[in-house]
Amino acid sequence: MKLFSVQNITYSINENKLFHNLSFEINSGEGLHIKGGNGSGKSTLLRIILGITSPSKGLIQSYDQDLKISYLGHKNAIKNYLTPIENLELLFSGDDLNVAFEWLNKFGLSHVQDELTASLSFGQQKKLALIRVLAQSSDLLILDEPFVGLDQATADQLNSFLAQKISQNAGLILTSHITPMIDCAVLDLGAKNA
Amino acid sequence: MLSFIKAESFKLSKKLKSWLGPLLVMVLVLIAFPLSIDISQYDLDKFYFSIIIVSLLMTAFVATEGMFEEDFEDGSLEQEFLKEKDFYKLVISKIFVYVCLIGIPIAFIGALFSFANGVAVDSFGKVFLLLILSNLLLFNLFAFGNALSINKGAMLGVLSSLPLALPVIILLGRAIRSIQYEDGFFAVTTLMVGIGLMVSAIMPLIISVALKTHID
Amino acid sequence: MLLLGWIWGLLFAPQDAVQGNSYRIIFLHVPSVIFAELIYFFMAVCALMHLVWRVKLAAYLIKSAAPIGAMITFIGLFSGSIWGIPTWGTWWQWDARITSTLILFIMYLGVLTLHGSFSNLEKADRLMSILVIIGVVNIPIIKKSVDWWSTLHQPASISVSGSSSIDPSMLYPLLISIIGLGFTLISLGILSSRSYILSREKNKKWVLMHV
Repeated sequence: MKLFSVQNITYSINENKLFHNLSFEINSGEGLHIKGGNGSGKSTLLRIILGITSPSKGLIQSYDQDLKISYLGHKNAIKNYLTPIENLELLFSGDDLNVAFEWLNKFGLSHVQDELTASLSFGQQKKLALIRVLAQSSDLLILDEPFVGLDQATADQLNSFLAQKISQNAGLILTSHITPMIDCAVLDLGAKNA
Repeated sequence: MLSFIKAESFKLSKKLKSWLGPLLVMVLVLIAFPLSIDISQYDLDKFYFSIIIVSLLMTAFVATEGMFEEDFEDGSLEQEFLKEKDFYKLVISKIFVYVCLIGIPIAFIGALFSFANGVAVDSFGKVFLLLILSNLLLFNLFAFGNALSINKGAMLGVLSSLPLALPVIILLGRAIRSIQYEDGFFAVTTLMVGIGLMVSAIMPLIISVALKTHID
Repeated sequence: MLLLGWIWGLLFAPQDAVQGNSYRIIFLHVPSVIFAELIYFFMAVCALMHLVWRVKLAAYLIKSAAPIGAMITFIGLFSGSIWGIPTWGTWWQWDARITSTLILFIMYLGVLTLHGSFSNLEKADRLMSILVIIGVVNIPIIKKSVDWWSTLHQPASISVSGSSSIDPSMLYPLLISIIGLGFTLISLGILSSRSYILSREKNKKWVLMHV
């Protein structure tokens, strides 16, 4: 099933063109890996797909108005003055909350669940942010650099979780400098054009 | 809406510094002022209200400082935008929670001190009410200043919201005088309630637009 | 024209019966405070155009007009202060009009600071427009509210309809000063907006073609 189509997107910031006439489609049950050098516009492209940033030219067409999207940006959207448990309580309720708590176990965060998030390591905070995204039942996952800050074991784990999401017919778009071990299409934005 | 209010009050209650700080500033100013002048020489009760008004302005500013900053910095605003496409509900609940958790206690402290400084006991309720209303207005206006200057610090917030806050201060001064001279209190209060409702409805709309521009 | 107004006003107009020669600062003071507000209203109209119809040019105009407005407001305040010393015996008084002009000055500064604090200029344009519009709503509110204070400032001396309380021999140079300052500011505005537009659009084809 088609989720989104991106048609002839051009984006420029303060008159500098980041990318030009980009077109692709996103289907459910498929992954897309966006790669490219620093400053090539990977994150911006994600934000355009999400509708946070508007493109200078072109069109994003969504085929389902009620599409549930979970997004992991550069910013974690985690409150560091709350504990992981409290963070999840803020985001989820009812059965979803129990599902989210299970994810704490899966990522091995249960032993720090009552400590302030601010005192956790970068990797642990990242895991918490991933839990926020993965515990939602969503049709499309958009992840900006999900592997940054994770150790090899956790990265492998994340790969398998993402593969599982795809097999459950969710769409996936991610940006990453390392190649994810998931079967997915690749879009290369190239190095930063000077 | 209710879930917003719940979430915001939970967050604020966990940020001890954010809600206790303004209250302490208020108390500090109100105590420090009479000590800093020779009390016996002046009729303190005549102008103590001015001090209350000024400290109200200061604390309202301190209290709203960083109101949206944290949500912007940690990316919660983006997430909110994806869910709701709009910030109106978020903003209105945030202001509501701030007024309830910080504004009303501040108003109470202010009223308490005015009463301790020679205002008749039976006007305690009136002063309390007025201070709550002005806090409602001030919080809305400063929230606007904050939304504009979301990550640029206090200076910009002051520059953009101080001109808006001054009419409130003048109105409050007028209302206080109406208590002191027992004249036209009802009219001024009604005016303040009216303006308060209007501002509380419109301001979040504008703030919401400003926030959207920020995350763009 | 500004020069004509000033020379006439400063050298040839008769002395004021009460205030003596010091009143002559009126030829600077009155025109500048008039334009202090006019420029803000102009900016508000531009802001509306920018937000509603997304006219880029309108935002550029606001950005170019704001420093001029701030400058002229400052001149108005400063000249008023100087005038205040011999006539009221004080250079500052918390009266209605002075206060609202001071607030106007703060608003100009706010607009400029806000715009200066962004690296993304389109964002800056939009937020600036929002602030300008809120500000213009605020002006009459401030005026009304400060009117409640007892005011020291003299009521406006010139009215469009009916008789003015000012003698023609002083009125004409004053009017000429106002119009002259108007032209001066407009040409200043055109100059500064021209260079500003060029700097903002420097990568566009039409600019490159003409350079």
